[in-house]
Amino acid sequence: MVDAARHPQITIKAYSEVERVDGYIGNFRALVTQKPRYVIEERCTGCGECAPVCPIEVPNPFEMNIAPRKAIDVPHGQAVPLIYAIDMDYCIKCYQCVTACGERDAIDFLQEPRTEEIEVGAIIVATGAAHFNPSVIPEYGYGRYPNVITAMELERLANSSGPTVGRLIRPSDGQVPKSLAFIQCVGSRDKRFNEYCSGYCCMASIKNAILLKQEHPEMEISIFYMDIRSPSKGYEEFYNRARAMGIRFIRGRPAQITEDPQTGNLFIEVEDQDLGQVLEVEVDMAVLATALIPQPDTQQLATTLTLARSPSGFFMEYHPKLRPIDAPTDGIFFAGTAQGPKDIPASVAQGSAAAARAARVLNAETWEIEPVIAHVNPELCISAQGKKCGLCAMACPYNAITVEVGRPALIIPAKCHGCGGCVAECPQNAITQDHFTDAQIVAQMREYLREKPEEKILVLMCHWCSYGGADNAGVSHFQYPPDSRGIRVMCSARMDQDLVLEAFRRGAGMVLVSGCHPQDCHYISGQQVAARRFERLFRTLERLGINPERFRVEWISAAEGEKYARVITEMSQKLASFDKEALRRENEAARKAIMQRLLRWRSLPDMAAVFAEEEEEKEVALE
Amino acid sequence: MIRSDQMDRRFIEEVMAEPGGEHLLTCWSCGTCAATCLVRRFNPAFNPRLILHKAGLGLREAVLSSAEIWACSACDTCYPRCPQGIHISQVMRAIRNVAIRAGYEAPGPTAQVDANRCSGCAVCTRICPYEAIERASQNIDGQERVIARVDRNLCQACGLCVAACPSGAMSLEALNDAELLTRMAAGGWLEHAGFLQGASTTPRLLAFVCQWSVRAEDEWQRIQALNDEHLRVVILPCSGRVEPAHILLALSKGVDGVLVMGCHEGACHYQRGTYLGRGKVALLNEMMAQMGIVRERVRFVESSALERRIFEERLALMREAILALRPALEIPAR
Repeated sequence: MVDAARHPQITIKAYSEVERVDGYIGNFRALVTQKPRYVIEERCTGCGECAPVCPIEVPNPFEMNIAPRKAIDVPHGQAVPLIYAIDMDYCIKCYQCVTACGERDAIDFLQEPRTEEIEVGAIIVATGAAHFNPSVIPEYGYGRYPNVITAMELERLANSSGPTVGRLIRPSDGQVPKSLAFIQCVGSRDKRFNEYCSGYCCMASIKNAILLKQEHPEMEISIFYMDIRSPSKGYEEFYNRARAMGIRFIRGRPAQITEDPQTGNLFIEVEDQDLGQVLEVEVDMAVLATALIPQPDTQQLATTLTLARSPSGFFMEYHPKLRPIDAPTDGIFFAGTAQGPKDIPASVAQGSAAAARAARVLNAETWEIEPVIAHVNPELCISAQGKKCGLCAMACPYNAITVEVGRPALIIPAKCHGCGGCVAECPQNAITQDHFTDAQIVAQMREYLREKPEEKILVLMCHWCSYGGADNAGVSHFQYPPDSRGIRVMCSARMDQDLVLEAFRRGAGMVLVSGCHPQDCHYISGQQVAARRFERLFRTLERLGINPERFRVEWISAAEGEKYARVITEMSQKLASFDKEALRRENEAARKAIMQRLLRWRSLPDMAAVFAEEEEEKEVALE
Repeated sequence: MIRSDQMDRRFIEEVMAEPGGEHLLTCWSCGTCAATCLVRRFNPAFNPRLILHKAGLGLREAVLSSAEIWACSACDTCYPRCPQGIHISQVMRAIRNVAIRAGYEAPGPTAQVDANRCSGCAVCTRICPYEAIERASQNIDGQERVIARVDRNLCQACGLCVAACPSGAMSLEALNDAELLTRMAAGGWLEHAGFLQGASTTPRLLAFVCQWSVRAEDEWQRIQALNDEHLRVVILPCSGRVEPAHILLALSKGVDGVLVMGCHEGACHYQRGTYLGRGKVALLNEMMAQMGIVRERVRFVESSALERRIFEERLALMREAILALRPALEIPAR
């Protein structure tokens, strides 16, 4: 950190908040607000004369609130930059710090927040994680029994620069504990709170156990665990060392901790799985290995930077295997636990990787983007005609579209990822997408439904999940009937309802639209755009006289080949149960109404070619 | 040795097809339920984790023939603690349903109905937390009568019906009135005058303690060791089993105070025992006031598995309260 502060090309903006981010890869503009420290940064030398004279003690979050700090202070001893700040929530304005500061004259009670706009080429999100508060687990008694502490509190109590100067004492009586229990998986691997494994806690507890055992060989240390997870390099050896040192490992998740009110000692009740018996272990102190959880303001930052979140709440990466460092928005990268729980080596590795990924952007003259981006036809855009619309901008998960009344909608190509949500949403059909134009999709549909369309299931599937699911069904050799015909588009958001209606107009027996599960959507919120759209389509179909049972919406991930095969099998069985003659009559009856609905769509310039051919075919058939 | 041919996939499917059995396979055997379970104190062989694990392996015979599958009283102390969110008592019920279909039966003990005494009033059918009692027509001495019938597969032997039956027709081995009176009076304990009658310098207290409201093993042993000439602890299966008649008898014999300790409301091992027990004591307090007996002499207190030394604490408070009563009262002469 000190090296970074000294580096001529690195500016650290501590105590600042990112308010807004505009622009795109290589050309971001960030609005950053510097909160007032009430200390003039250039004048403060970090000498520390002010803090001792300050009469106000406030809770110190760095010390897990075990020790106090002053109302004018630095966050912790190694803080970079070493500039003091006044906490105005607590300051009584006695001005003793001003006197102590003396000639340096660094204290300025009139300081205001300063906002500035900075231009950056890439953004790295390294906002870290928060800790689970175990007081919501009543059976562990945290907050009720003083001798139940969290792992982070232990870190401070055992730290030589901590509030006890490294002397581990128990809170109830200040004595050094003779026995200590570590309880793993508190708040993680627990469906009531967080289902994921926090990953780092096994090794962290073993590390603390080894350090304490070295310092206090007579201390009886037990680790209560369900599974020890030590997959990284050298970890298993470290675990073996802990066992050899005499640290007690008990396989079993403690059911509850009770306290003897007279001694303050704790009783841990646990079933030792290896014995199949319940143990009651009396210890002086218990340490809860709490889960890592997303920072409370993760959603706020996700909105500012146009990022997505995983089901666990951490930031979601572009691709879990192939692009684990990149955000879904180009030019933004992740480092550390902001993206998911990880330990120090993994965070350092990801930080280096993020820096390298960002350097690629900073050193590039040009940047290659996806070839599937969307374009606006200015002649058709209703906004250009002075009318209010903006549906495209609402559908865009990347804020890549700006709509100003009187001018056609503007898509910034560098921000567009090519989901096609705007293409499908535009009521004027003014937007097209390269390589996935309506005409191209309809041409595929035409070929699939050329013969016996009422015996076919037309499937629209998204590139990332459902197409992968169908592929998975194939490579896994899951059997399903041969009635389906699949058309791939980039995202379920691209699946225009006109495409579904067109399929029915062409006589398709059934239609399936299929995309990612909501939390897996590759385009942040594309699936939600599609889900809303298709909810309405059922009613439209009913009004058109088409049995809504012939239309189905399913969210199938790339790993769910079995589900894909099952859905197609179910649909095929349903299709077989329909009377084909009745289907044909139903299609025929709805045809005219659908034609009318699709009138504007069919009149698009590139569409004309597809339908012109159709007319010819008809004529050929008539002859 | 267990061989793979004993592992029956269909048994797993059968259990999972039962309502409540769906989550059988999500158990990863952490042991939280086993260490939580209160039934284990009286039945150390009972281990819900092992039952779920065996069922998850498909060991049909081993699971269905074991007596332990009937031991779960559905107190649901483990359910809110399970990190996998498995409703374990529901899984147990699913396994029992499979067992009943296969012709197995709960080993008991169960509440017994004395057909000659039962009037068919249905107090017990309403009070049973397990809906184990129904009324059915039976031929008794050539006479067709509607009386109570206990389903042995549902009965958990909590004794709430025994305490509730107005005709004394319900009985449960070891928990009948006679047995409780014997425990109260053993060693002639009741045959001494009390502190309030001026016969002693220390209050004589009788405590009815629900067997589930005290958790830890050493806690349990300490409470039982407290028995002496000034204190008699009677263990009940549930605070709902307490009977006002026993309390009044004790008071009339010169006992200074009676303490009834049950689980916290909502944490009762038999679902509504605390509610019944506390209700009875509250009603008795009202009656005592009418009879001219100070109501503070009978108290209902709650305790839980997470509290240690709670019994001693409550006992000390009760003693203090009785000591403070000394100048004020005497039991009215009977």
